[in-house]
Amino acid sequence: MLRHLRLRLRGLFAPGRTDAELAEEMAFHVEREAQMYERQGYTHEEALRKARLAFGSIDHTAELHRDGRGSRGLHDTLKDIRYAARAIRRDRALALAGVLTLALGIGATTAVFSAVNAVMLRELPFRQSERLVSLWEENPDRGWYKNVVAPANYLDWRERSDGFVDIAAYTDYPTNVTLLGHGEPMLLNAAYVTGNFLTVLGVSLPMGNGFSSGDDWDNGQRPAIISDRIWRTHFGADPRVIGRTMSFGGRSAWQIVGVMPRAFSFPSPTTDVWLPMLWNPASRSQVSFRRAHWLRTVARLKPGVSTESANASLQRVVKQLQDEYPATNTRMGGGVTPLREWIVGDTKRPLLVLLSAAAILLLIACANVGNLLLVHALGRSRDVALRFALGATRRRVAKQAMTESLVLSGVGAALGAALGWIGARALLAIQPAGMLPVTDIPLDLRVLAFTVLVATVSGLAFGVAPALMATRTSPSAALSSGGRTLAGSRVQGWGRHLVVAEIALAVLLTVAAGLLVRSYDRLSNVPPGFNPEGVLTFSLSIPAARYDSAGKVIGFYEALLARIEATPGVQGAAAIRQLPATFTSWSSSLAIAGRPPMPQGEDALHREFLGEYFRLMEVPLLRGRAYSSADVQGGPPVVVINEALAKQYFTGEEPIGQRIAFDRVPDSNSVWRTIVGVVGNERQGSLALPARPEIFAPQQQDWNRTMFVVAKARPGIDPASLAVPVRRAVRDLDSLLAVNAMRPMTAVHAEATARERFISVLVLVFAITGVALALVGVFGVLAQLVQSRWRELGIRLALGAQRSEVRWLVLRRGATLLSIGIASGLAISAGTSRVLQSLLYEVQATDPVTFITVTILMGVIGLAAALIPAWRASSANPAHTLRAE
Amino acid sequence: MPDPTPSDVLRGTLDLLILKTLTLEPMHGWGISQRIQQHSRDVLDVNQGSLYPALQRLELREWIESEWRASDNNRRAKFYRLTAKGRRALGVETESWRRYVAAVEHILATG
Repeated sequence: MLRHLRLRLRGLFAPGRTDAELAEEMAFHVEREAQMYERQGYTHEEALRKARLAFGSIDHTAELHRDGRGSRGLHDTLKDIRYAARAIRRDRALALAGVLTLALGIGATTAVFSAVNAVMLRELPFRQSERLVSLWEENPDRGWYKNVVAPANYLDWRERSDGFVDIAAYTDYPTNVTLLGHGEPMLLNAAYVTGNFLTVLGVSLPMGNGFSSGDDWDNGQRPAIISDRIWRTHFGADPRVIGRTMSFGGRSAWQIVGVMPRAFSFPSPTTDVWLPMLWNPASRSQVSFRRAHWLRTVARLKPGVSTESANASLQRVVKQLQDEYPATNTRMGGGVTPLREWIVGDTKRPLLVLLSAAAILLLIACANVGNLLLVHALGRSRDVALRFALGATRRRVAKQAMTESLVLSGVGAALGAALGWIGARALLAIQPAGMLPVTDIPLDLRVLAFTVLVATVSGLAFGVAPALMATRTSPSAALSSGGRTLAGSRVQGWGRHLVVAEIALAVLLTVAAGLLVRSYDRLSNVPPGFNPEGVLTFSLSIPAARYDSAGKVIGFYEALLARIEATPGVQGAAAIRQLPATFTSWSSSLAIAGRPPMPQGEDALHREFLGEYFRLMEVPLLRGRAYSSADVQGGPPVVVINEALAKQYFTGEEPIGQRIAFDRVPDSNSVWRTIVGVVGNERQGSLALPARPEIFAPQQQDWNRTMFVVAKARPGIDPASLAVPVRRAVRDLDSLLAVNAMRPMTAVHAEATARERFISVLVLVFAITGVALALVGVFGVLAQLVQSRWRELGIRLALGAQRSEVRWLVLRRGATLLSIGIASGLAISAGTSRVLQSLLYEVQATDPVTFITVTILMGVIGLAAALIPAWRASSANPAHTLRAE
Repeated sequence: MPDPTPSDVLRGTLDLLILKTLTLEPMHGWGISQRIQQHSRDVLDVNQGSLYPALQRLELREWIESEWRASDNNRRAKFYRLTAKGRRALGVETESWRRYVAAVEHILATG
């Protein structure tokens, strides 16, 4: 048995040695045979000849012998690969074109797939992450769905529902603290979390013990967990960092009780520091604790409890709370979503659209390479015919052709994987901030397996046509006609199908890109209600410890605006609680004096402003007045409203002079504010949504420590150039403040549509590449046509055909291919573009303008690609071609 | 009467003939083919195209083993030798061959 194995192995790994032995053995045989003939009286030469004849084909025997060794399959495969490598080396241009095309397709697909893998497939970095869910609130009256939770409701859920091991809460709205004493004042992104946050997630800290559940309530302690990133950048990766304190500019020192694991990116990849809730124990019973909604939650399901039954247990508590707290909870619902779905959220559809686009591009690339190989195979059909004539089996020849395409796709895949790795990094780098909820996109086994699979499938896909072609080669026909007639026409048949498919796919991609680009164009041309040009913005958070009174806060901001306005190049400066078009806003219920209470759920956004904000941002003042320095604390409270609010509540009435309170049912404590002006609508969040009713209160009367500053540059001055003097103005006033998020307002405006731009640009790039490949395909198949009919064209011309007729002949063929391709592409698009609808703004998925534009565009550039071979056809020289016979 | 043309050895019987030939002494390929031809009084001609694959097959079945040694004219040649397993196999194969021949003979006789 062992010996048996050894023989086979030897046959496999040292075929040379076994073959050499066989050769020697057979040579010996022939020699002895010849000696025998010599003894019978033949001459030496004759004897040798006779012996060889008697022996038969040495190669044939060797072949049979090798078959007997049982290593033939692999032996042939190795030979095929060597042969393929030789064939590819011989035709470098073809190989290069094929490999690059494939690498492009595989690279694009791998890059997008690794993002899909990182976001949607990879296990979340939490223990038994499939048991984690997110709980949320909903209120149909207010249009709330998957909304933030009020702390009191959260605490009741946690105490009363029985489907969960535990429920943790955290904040995901932008919160900043200023880290002092570690170089320049540094603004950190903070998240507030409950003490059980890490326990629920099942994450253990590499350093420190983290929070305890007692940290939910303010007990005088100030513990903090820092990110691995901050630990390295600001604490010099100090291994004894636990117990060290840091200052956020307040009275208390925060003690570091933990460093997060390196890739920890929850709630956001940009979170720098996690702080405990530190609620005031007195708040628990206050109505505001149930009225204000601002918590996100994550819960771990009890073992054996399904999401559905956990949800049922939550619904019971929700119902109890509705009965117990009618003032706040009557219409307050709740729900459960698996954490992964929660995190992936609305990145899912864009990612899948991108993946489909990349896959279509890969298909086009495959068709293109298939075409290349067909032409290549045609050039070799004599070769193949010869092999048939010499006794190669069809199977063997087909396998040889497949090997060639697999070798090509293998090289393409290696290059594609590298491109994919780079592409994935590029995706992460150029994505709109926060779109992909991950810190890195690894090239893990799943991605590699995907690449290998894609490469193999595509290798088989584009290899199958040349392989079939090869097996149908008829030796006699190919040898006699020089491979021109039979195989030639078949190649063109296949090639035509491939090109039609390419055009159809390119049309599909282009329609998708067209729809997305058109939608993006519409969206970015929505008037935002303000003019971002020439405006520099930044935000400031002044610490409560040093600015502990209304007077100090207002005084600081007034002094700051005055300083900035005194800076050369600045036309004016103002402050606003939130920038428009940034998706962050505060809302409140409201009452209008002299009217019955509004229905539950009616609310208005509100912001505070200081200075000539509306004038600088060119928000039109429609009635009354806006800012006045006469509005002071203690003076009559005033507000400015936007047009949307005026339209909703004061149609046909004079809003100026009416009074508003920020309570649904006002009581004796309510502050009544008089409307003094109406301004135009700013889009507060997505540009796709109409402006909501909004109320602006002067900062002097409703102060806030965190504000955005807008500085308008004088005409002709780049707002970015104001960055340095404006920073200096802040530092001169208070050197312990960190300037955050400083950027031109135009960048803020662009960010509002960044996601749409990102997706449409990527799909557009895929589409352009796809169209280019399809055009190469059209060009190639027509050039092939001209080449194979060169003689015929020459004869036609010789017989008096007009050159224009010959040109038309080729163009007509091109036009036929194009029209079939475009028509099928449009049909597929019409059937599938609906999946894009939710990504489109004011553009129908079957938008005729896009469909018609794509048709014309494809037609025109397709014909342009056909022109070159057409021209070449008409240049066939009759005398020349005929002489060549 | 014309010389009878040597006929090819039936595929199944070649293994049997090789094994039988090797019971005499270890032999190289050419020797085996000569011996079969002689012993069959020139009736059977061993096709080289079948001989070497057959030797290969038998060696894989471990019925024979091979080694390189000097031949009578001092050239290196590959000698095949019957193994114990091969000897047993020869007995079985011979037995079944005889049964086969007897059966065929019986049919021909009664026909």
